[in-house]
Amino acid sequence: MDDLQLLFVLVLFAAAFGAVLSGIPVAFALSGSALIVATIASVFGVFDFSYLSAIPSRIFGTAMFNEVLTAVPLFILMGVILERSRVAEDLLMNMARLSRGVPAGLGISVTLVGVLLAASTGIVGATVVAMGLLSLPTMLKQGYSPSLAAGSICAAGTLGQIIPPSIVLVFLGDQLSGAYMEAQREIGNFAPDPVSVGDLFAGALIPGVGLAFLYMVYQFCIGILRPSDCPAMVEEDGEDLRLIIILASLLPPVMLIVAVLGSILAGAATPTEAAGVGALGALLLAGVRLARETEGTTSARAIVLAGLAAAFLLIILRSIADLRLSAQDISAFDTGAIVVALISSAVLLAGVAAALWILRCAGTLSDTMMATMRISTLAFAILIGATIFSLIFRSLGGDEIVLEAMQSIPGGANGALLAVLLLVFVLGFFLDFIEIVFIIMPIVAPVILQSDINPIWFGVLIALNLQTSFLTPPFGFALFYLRGVAPPEVRTTDIYRGVLPYIAIQLLALATVFVFPALATWLPSVLFR
Amino acid sequence: MDSIIDLIERCNRVLGRAAASCALVMMLAQAFSVIARYVFSYGVISVQEAAIYGHALIFLAGSAFVLQVNEHVRVDVFYARYRSEIRRRVDLIALLVFVLPVAATILWVSYPYVARAWSVLEGSRQAGGIPAVFLLKTAIIIFAVSVGLQAIATATRLFARKSTPAWDTDDVGGT
Repeated sequence: MDDLQLLFVLVLFAAAFGAVLSGIPVAFALSGSALIVATIASVFGVFDFSYLSAIPSRIFGTAMFNEVLTAVPLFILMGVILERSRVAEDLLMNMARLSRGVPAGLGISVTLVGVLLAASTGIVGATVVAMGLLSLPTMLKQGYSPSLAAGSICAAGTLGQIIPPSIVLVFLGDQLSGAYMEAQREIGNFAPDPVSVGDLFAGALIPGVGLAFLYMVYQFCIGILRPSDCPAMVEEDGEDLRLIIILASLLPPVMLIVAVLGSILAGAATPTEAAGVGALGALLLAGVRLARETEGTTSARAIVLAGLAAAFLLIILRSIADLRLSAQDISAFDTGAIVVALISSAVLLAGVAAALWILRCAGTLSDTMMATMRISTLAFAILIGATIFSLIFRSLGGDEIVLEAMQSIPGGANGALLAVLLLVFVLGFFLDFIEIVFIIMPIVAPVILQSDINPIWFGVLIALNLQTSFLTPPFGFALFYLRGVAPPEVRTTDIYRGVLPYIAIQLLALATVFVFPALATWLPSVLFR
Repeated sequence: MDSIIDLIERCNRVLGRAAASCALVMMLAQAFSVIARYVFSYGVISVQEAAIYGHALIFLAGSAFVLQVNEHVRVDVFYARYRSEIRRRVDLIALLVFVLPVAATILWVSYPYVARAWSVLEGSRQAGGIPAVFLLKTAIIIFAVSVGLQAIATATRLFARKSTPAWDTDDVGGT
């Protein structure tokens, strides 16, 4: 390692950081500054341009032809459909109605919806904005104190990140599995147990749900101790408040989300498969929901409902009959079942077509697709930019410099881990989850995971840590975004004061998972081994 | 000059809409393949791969459009506080010193890579897959060219102080 290389690695970091902070789009700030530094380095003979020829195969391998990451646009599509068709809004309102009489019922509902909408909550800003627009006016109207309302929304908006199936966990799991393989090869273990996105989902479930539970306990306590801060819901006239009606409208989206998550955790489906079916299910629910307020779609709605019924029939048929088309000697019963299943599939297809038609009549189809494209594109553009950045970083010998630096941190593996957590916490003030996963993970994870640190535990700690960072004033991402959509009567100090208790809860959860790694590692070990 | 810029932006809008429809195609392909596999134990590799093709095309074809509407994520801690003249200069630097060279570099290093794929008409590594990996790889070229042209188009508009709906306003990009 010579000093010139070290110098250029430091310049590379400084340039990338400066470019990102100056407001240049992150994807191009990373790749562009890396290319500029590489060009200068090549003049000094420290960098060879032939390294760059690996760029297309990296783009192809990491971003394009990556079956795991195919789940990301599908989860985004599912989330956007639920949001645009107002299924998400109904979910929140119905939960709030259901929780009438419970202390801080509306606040608790906001947390629950944050948990349920985890699939769509990849990007902090988008979720906090959506939750803010959705629930802040309602909470203020119900007489919630601005700081409690703002704090609850910021916390709920970031909560979804750590609860599967959030898309950042998909990205993080994908990065970790590569880094873990590489790290274990480096120390001579050529057959490590692979780490999958499903493992990380399972690992994040207990800490995530535990965190949500702690949030709700806090809100409940406030509801009892300071009821004036969060009065119970006021009933509006003319609303149908019968329990059965509320439950009936609450059930479908909850079932969809539970089915998606359940099929992944049960090992029945890969995240990608679950995401595809989840998006299809969301589309059908959206069709039913939007048909109510779109004229001339009554018959289409009936077809969508038939499609939903056909989907259930398919599941039932599969469990009672052998539907393998390629099987030898198909019995009469199975032949009948196969015919029914094929007809059901056709009905399901018709239901999907009808749902698409309803969305089109309601004017949301093209919006939904464009929004899915935009969110997916900005995430993957950053992945491509970060890929070019890390390629140049490694070509300059940066990975060895990081390895040496981390080995010189006192306290061994745990010392290095704490240093990484601290670094990620600070970076979380400036960068969103996706950027940090793409830039920092490829650099530090292969080093950290060379020790006996469990990769799932590491991933969950990173996720919890980042989530805390997004809530921390004065820089926390969530706070900025809520400020953007909050009415002027909610002061910035209200937002800061409101998140403080949640930060305390976060730190408690982070410390607990740090001291008891089993909270993250136990569930994957019983589910998938 | 103006007509060339308009042409570039119109092409990129078409690409963006095509990318958006890929999201729909990919969902249908993925759901079809799951139902075929889980209900009928019938795997169709080409449909499975179609979902991956759709996935890749979403962001490769969509990037130029997202640049056009100024929605690529940026950190706006400072950017949001710039005066509009400073913002215009930062945008010009971003487009000409960062976006354009990145696009040009990707084009430069991808050309031989894609040419190699074309020379053997590279197909799927799996039996029964879509025999069009060379076409999929060509999308990297489309990505680089469309993003590069869009950077030139937007920079020209900013340089001539012709504000576009998405750039040079108080509306900061990002999510």
